[in-house]
Amino acid sequence: MKNILYKSFYAVACASIVFACKPKFEDQPAASAGSANFATYVAVGNSITAGYADGALYREGQESSYAKLLADQLKLAGGGEFKIPYVSPTTQGVGAPFVGPSGLVFPGPFVLAYVTDCKGVTSLGPKATAGDPTAFASVASQGLFNSIAVPGAKAIHVPFQGYGDDTHPIGTYNPFFSRFASDKAGASMLSDAMLKNPTFFSLFIGNNDVLLYALAGGPFSNNSITPTANFNASIDIILDSLTKHGAKGVIANIPDITSIPHFTTVPYYGLVVPDAPTAAYINAQLKANYPTVDSVNRTVYVGPNRFFVEDASVTPGGIRKMNPGELVLLSVPQDSIKCYGLGSFVPFKGQHFLNASEVADIKTHTADYNTKLQSAAIARDLAFVDANAFLKSAISGLTFNGVKVSSTFVSGGAFSLDGVHLTPLGNALLANEFIKSINAKFGATIPQVDPTKYRGVKFPN
Amino acid sequence: MKKLFILLIAASPALSFAQGFQVNLQGQKQQSMGGTGTGLAIDEASVFFNPGAVSHLEKNGVSVGVSPTIGNSTFQLDNSTSQARTTSPVSTPFTLYGVYGKAESNWKFGLGVYTPFGSTIQWEDGWSGKYQLTKLKLLSVFIQPTVSYKINDKIGIGAGFVYGIGDIDLRRDLPTPFPNGDPGKAKLTGSASGIGFNAGIYLKPTEKLSIGLAYRSQVNMKVNNGKAEFTVPSSLSSGFPETKFTSSLPLPQTISLGVGFKPTEKLLLSAEVNFIGWSAYKSLDFDYEKNTAQLQDTHSERNYKDAFAYRIGAQYAATEKLSVRAGFALQMTPVQEGYVTPEVPDANRQTYTVGLGYKFTEKFTVDASFTLEDFERRSNFNKEAQFGGTYKTIIAIPGLSLSYNF
Repeated sequence: MKNILYKSFYAVACASIVFACKPKFEDQPAASAGSANFATYVAVGNSITAGYADGALYREGQESSYAKLLADQLKLAGGGEFKIPYVSPTTQGVGAPFVGPSGLVFPGPFVLAYVTDCKGVTSLGPKATAGDPTAFASVASQGLFNSIAVPGAKAIHVPFQGYGDDTHPIGTYNPFFSRFASDKAGASMLSDAMLKNPTFFSLFIGNNDVLLYALAGGPFSNNSITPTANFNASIDIILDSLTKHGAKGVIANIPDITSIPHFTTVPYYGLVVPDAPTAAYINAQLKANYPTVDSVNRTVYVGPNRFFVEDASVTPGGIRKMNPGELVLLSVPQDSIKCYGLGSFVPFKGQHFLNASEVADIKTHTADYNTKLQSAAIARDLAFVDANAFLKSAISGLTFNGVKVSSTFVSGGAFSLDGVHLTPLGNALLANEFIKSINAKFGATIPQVDPTKYRGVKFPN
Repeated sequence: MKKLFILLIAASPALSFAQGFQVNLQGQKQQSMGGTGTGLAIDEASVFFNPGAVSHLEKNGVSVGVSPTIGNSTFQLDNSTSQARTTSPVSTPFTLYGVYGKAESNWKFGLGVYTPFGSTIQWEDGWSGKYQLTKLKLLSVFIQPTVSYKINDKIGIGAGFVYGIGDIDLRRDLPTPFPNGDPGKAKLTGSASGIGFNAGIYLKPTEKLSIGLAYRSQVNMKVNNGKAEFTVPSSLSSGFPETKFTSSLPLPQTISLGVGFKPTEKLLLSAEVNFIGWSAYKSLDFDYEKNTAQLQDTHSERNYKDAFAYRIGAQYAATEKLSVRAGFALQMTPVQEGYVTPEVPDANRQTYTVGLGYKFTEKFTVDASFTLEDFERRSNFNKEAQFGGTYKTIIAIPGLSLSYNF
């Protein structure tokens, strides 16, 4: 009896420890595509879809773009290969080239680093790096790509033939498209997307139709806001083509860019005067520079003050203080503000900020575009991602899996160091918005991305 | 030695802190009978289960026991393919009891040193809940001097003073990536202490029937000098200074009512119900001595509710020397929907127990038990962390004790 008991006791103990002690979930439902077919997924979009981050296109950003993360999840439900025009894993990447004082500049990704300002104060901030122009080297020989995502592309550019034609002068073609267009002179983003014969597509476009204008501080470049009629026509052309062979898809509306960190980090009352001597100095300078302005309108006090801006409509003097609702761009040189009177006795120029009518213009067009995007989704029976609402929730502070993210620049975790594009973490959260919409629309059961696997802004050691 | 059986209840209130991994391991005999002990007077573990029963113990004795606890949890993140398992090390709650009283006296004195909770839950690296918890190690030891008075052959009363000491080691990842993308880490360690008491009454109206009623007070375990350390990129180190913290956890009061019944000389049946005052656990707060923009005091709602446990057990004296035991318990979770956390992936549990005792000599006895706690699979969306998923936990606990009676 004793022996038997010992044996059975031993057996129970072992069985429990070896097997039962490792609980398993065996009845996981398989991912299904519902009524959609993800065999060939093509993503059409701009820098966000490309995974552009920290002001540049670089490998890690591409690998964690929402489109790539979405494609990885679609593979669980019958999705095929998702080919991306990757830059080399060894390059630091490159941002949109621009013409600087000494010629063409190829910026690299911002990194968070200690930056010593003009006053000798060292603090943590985004630091510009040099980019690698060879990242623009063509990868078109790799074949057709599923990711037709071109930084800088507006909706009106998508059907534009020759958008990557680099035989044209700088500034009249897009080098981010040249590097992978199947035919630089003959292809448009849309035609390259169609060469892939997509069975499923995502379209996230339209941001740049207002954003490029906003980044320029308003009408100070050749990037005007796309007229709504042109935007609407482009969307119809794009969707007519993408759905021509019965492909299903998902489209996203665009966020209200006036609430992203690039425009909200520097407040309109950010002219901080530390002490009375500084106030006296600034006031003396203002008086000297703008003697005709009533002293009430050109006096600063110790503490936060509203920035001064140039405004030709104000007489006399042509300057005024910024008003609530007007936005200072993150790209305004901080050293100039701190040490050289920018925003105080050297008032902001038009390209440094968005005035009330520019902000209103941006908001109106954003709303118009979004009306079009949503009605197009309904009319064409597409899944619809309310990216605007998503960004709003990320801005007000969003908690998931024990992490709080917000739009707070750098520490918020969702926005990368350019204040416009998302971090891998932000991309993971956005990918889940796409997945939720696709699942709801097509009765699919695509598993979501686990956002805790993706990082926010990296901090230097 | 004559067998005297006392119903011992196991739902020690004390267990609280890591309730999820709270297991009631205060006596091998009682443990193998489903955790019943309040209505029994079978051995020195009555010091824990019912001080009133101590005076009815036939002999003086000392015993020492250990219950290696092997807990495993699996987690499935909602709407995802992400799964995670715990990689918790085996924890080893122990017991040490002594009971002494002169044969002619109605007084008996006892001392118990035991581990009301002592477990480690550790989740695998990089799991989905890493920003909430990666590891929680709790160790507590209660020291309980006890007196018991036998009013007559039918009634015994007793009480004990509880001094609890404990250690906590809590770790989580921080969403502050290093240049290589690795997360930051927080480590909170500290010692806690608290005091309480237990008291009980033991009735033996007939030779066949025994009844026990026991109360264990709440013990507030306070961490006064905790140390918070952070491993973050150096550019953030000023935001995450090493600092002291304070925190506290209520180990809830418990009321237990148990009965023992001997239909024959060889068979003992026991049953018991525990009421555990978990509603005292309202929140888990950490108060850091130094606060920064990044390091704020935390207040996390727990909102436990009072819970019951139901237990039955049996012992059969197969031979003069060998006893076999079995039991079953149903423990209801105090954790409400929306409040399940990775530190305590709790759920209602069914507990199956078996055990045996062998009396090598008149004075020397070995008892062994095996307990399997099978948690109900539980899906929960944690409100605070916005973290949804399904937990499944199984705990296996072999145990062994040695007793010397005189």
